[in-house]
Amino acid sequence: MKKHDLFIIVAAVFIIALSFLLIKGKNGATLTVKENNKTVYVGSIYKDKNIKLQNNTLIIKDGFVYMKSANCKNNICVHTGKIHKKGESIICLPNKVIAQIE
Amino acid sequence: MSAKQSDSANRIDTKRLTLYALFTAAALIFSYIESLFPLAFIAPGVKLGLSNAVTLFLAVRKDYKGAFLVSIVRLLLSALLFGSFISFLFSFAGGMFSLLVICLLNKTGLFSAVGVSIAGGVAHNVAQLVVAYFIIKGAVWYYLPVLALSGALCGGLVGAVSLILLKKIKTNYKL
Repeated sequence: MKKHDLFIIVAAVFIIALSFLLIKGKNGATLTVKENNKTVYVGSIYKDKNIKLQNNTLIIKDGFVYMKSANCKNNICVHTGKIHKKGESIICLPNKVIAQIE
Repeated sequence: MSAKQSDSANRIDTKRLTLYALFTAAALIFSYIESLFPLAFIAPGVKLGLSNAVTLFLAVRKDYKGAFLVSIVRLLLSALLFGSFISFLFSFAGGMFSLLVICLLNKTGLFSAVGVSIAGGVAHNVAQLVVAYFIIKGAVWYYLPVLALSGALCGGLVGAVSLILLKKIKTNYKL
């Protein structure tokens, strides 16, 4: 072992610690689903779940949330795609559904 | 004249060709041996990477061309023998990127085999994660902490193995 190896070890520990911290911070993300102004679901986005709403189906999988189906004509919420970042949302206006990550 | 000179400089003579073939065979055997002790229960794709001891040996002996040649042939062969196209993509990206990091760090002359190997192990797993991101397009970053940690630990072990090899095998195979 040479003296400079310490730099690599310190850098490796730094990367590992940083990645642990980043993921821990992201883990706090929760999904709130509102339907007709009532909160119908609050939960982590890292717990896979199929949420059946009155007219929509919302899927939580591997930290991503997406609207699988909706009975409205335009399907804007379905086309929103997958969301996973804080502050992102899927909104279905015809059915008054708001799914937001906090 | 100059073209002829560079031609003979790029040529690998028979003795060296045989050595590289032996090194590749040794690396493949290492790959096989470690496939008998799977570590993938820790996180998908975690393994010791013992075969990298061979390429590390070459890189630390400053035979960078040989290290890349042996590494590429070993990756191709192990993909043909044990792997699939996807697993080849993963191992090729990881192998090439980590070898690049190893060669660059070794060229500075500041680090020992162990230090170089730790950096190589982390680089290997980060490169694989980048490939995984492009293939899956999902939240693969949650594996980063575990993969970075296992990369550093396995890299350190592989470095220690090559350190022993470098001490035991004193023969200067350079011609």
